[in-house]
Amino acid sequence: MSEEKSLISKLQEGNTRALSKLYDDYAGALYGVIIRICKNEAQAQDVLQETFVKIWENANKYDPGKGKFYTWAYRIARNTSLNALRNPSPLIQSDDLSVYGNKAELEEEKINLHELKGSLKQLNAHHQKALELVYFQGLTHREAHKEMDVPLGTFKSYVQQALKKLRDAYQLSLLLVCVLMEWII
Amino acid sequence: MDNMMESKEIREQGWLERYLLGELSEEEVRAVEDALRKDPQLKMDMDQLEADLEKMAFENAIDPPSHVKSQLMDQVSKVNVTTIPLNENRNNRAYLAIAASLALLFGISSFWLFSKVNSMEEDLQLVQEENAQLQDNVLELQSDLAETTQWYEAVNDPGAIKLILAGNTNSPNALAISYVNHDKKSVVLDAKGLPRLAEDKDYQMWADVDGVMIDMGVIPKDTEMIAMTYIERMESLNITIEPAGGNDHPTVENLISNVYLN
Repeated sequence: MSEEKSLISKLQEGNTRALSKLYDDYAGALYGVIIRICKNEAQAQDVLQETFVKIWENANKYDPGKGKFYTWAYRIARNTSLNALRNPSPLIQSDDLSVYGNKAELEEEKINLHELKGSLKQLNAHHQKALELVYFQGLTHREAHKEMDVPLGTFKSYVQQALKKLRDAYQLSLLLVCVLMEWII
Repeated sequence: MDNMMESKEIREQGWLERYLLGELSEEEVRAVEDALRKDPQLKMDMDQLEADLEKMAFENAIDPPSHVKSQLMDQVSKVNVTTIPLNENRNNRAYLAIAASLALLFGISSFWLFSKVNSMEEDLQLVQEENAQLQDNVLELQSDLAETTQWYEAVNDPGAIKLILAGNTNSPNALAISYVNHDKKSVVLDAKGLPRLAEDKDYQMWADVDGVMIDMGVIPKDTEMIAMTYIERMESLNITIEPAGGNDHPTVENLISNVYLN
């Protein structure tokens, strides 16, 4: 934690090596979100780069007292992705058009690649869907409950229940690890 | 939204999730942050939620292609090189240069003022010395003037009788002039015409009253005009050479000059 703190204060001083290290730590997690929102690899790569440029340029706006670095970076990635979807870069659009014939096929394959993993997979389908919509699709609660065709209140409780289940799953895996460690020793 | 949001409402209505996801308006963010500051338990719940979401994100991480990072590092290092460090350096250097110039200027002006004050003090002292010297001179001149005036008045007084004391064979070159004033009862002697004597000798003046020589005083060696003692009913003035400091009785063989009063 303290290592990350010093990394972040170096970032805020304009240290490019700190940015490089933070990229190594967080780019994968952020790219996982970005590509699921954009559903287009070229655009997602641009958005990932833009996200880190924003992190670099706005580093001083990050306040460690208000939350984790990842949460701050996630919000930037999410907003940058949604902006890119609203105002797609003409360069990327023409690229897509040039390979239009293969596009549908490719996208299908990629979406499969972007299938959700980890403890999320253990959740009930509607809980998994609710988290996917708000976290990996970048929809607001108001947009997502319409997407799932349930009332807002119901949707809110889906998200809360999903997070609770996720919490239990993480605690269980932690417990299993502890038991396993004890058993090995 | 109500600013005084209750922790219970925040938990139940899913505000924490939407806060973390970045769905809230600025006003709503402020309200949630206020509540988090006031309620440590709520803050702990949020930290947990935040950690869970981060873990979920890491479980679903996808490695981006490596060219994204190289492009990013190129971009920021260009920005870095062209703006941030140079600006910082330039600013720092400029500030340093300004600070150094100011310090130098201050140092030079301080030194200049210091030496200026010193030289002014010296000048002042010099002027004061000169002033004291001039004042001494003035006093000296004033006393000279007073003396001269005194002699001038004595010599030019209508009652003054001028008597020449010419040297006899004992001192043929001697010449003294005396001014006797009976009204003012004064005798002034101009002794500059008397030849120089040895260190152990002095001229002494005497008045003859009824055949008795009465002392009128020793004539100082380095003075030109001298006031001698006025003697009542004196008949003649006499000058003798006596041992230094004067004698009680005149050494008649050493009489060099005498003159009778009418």
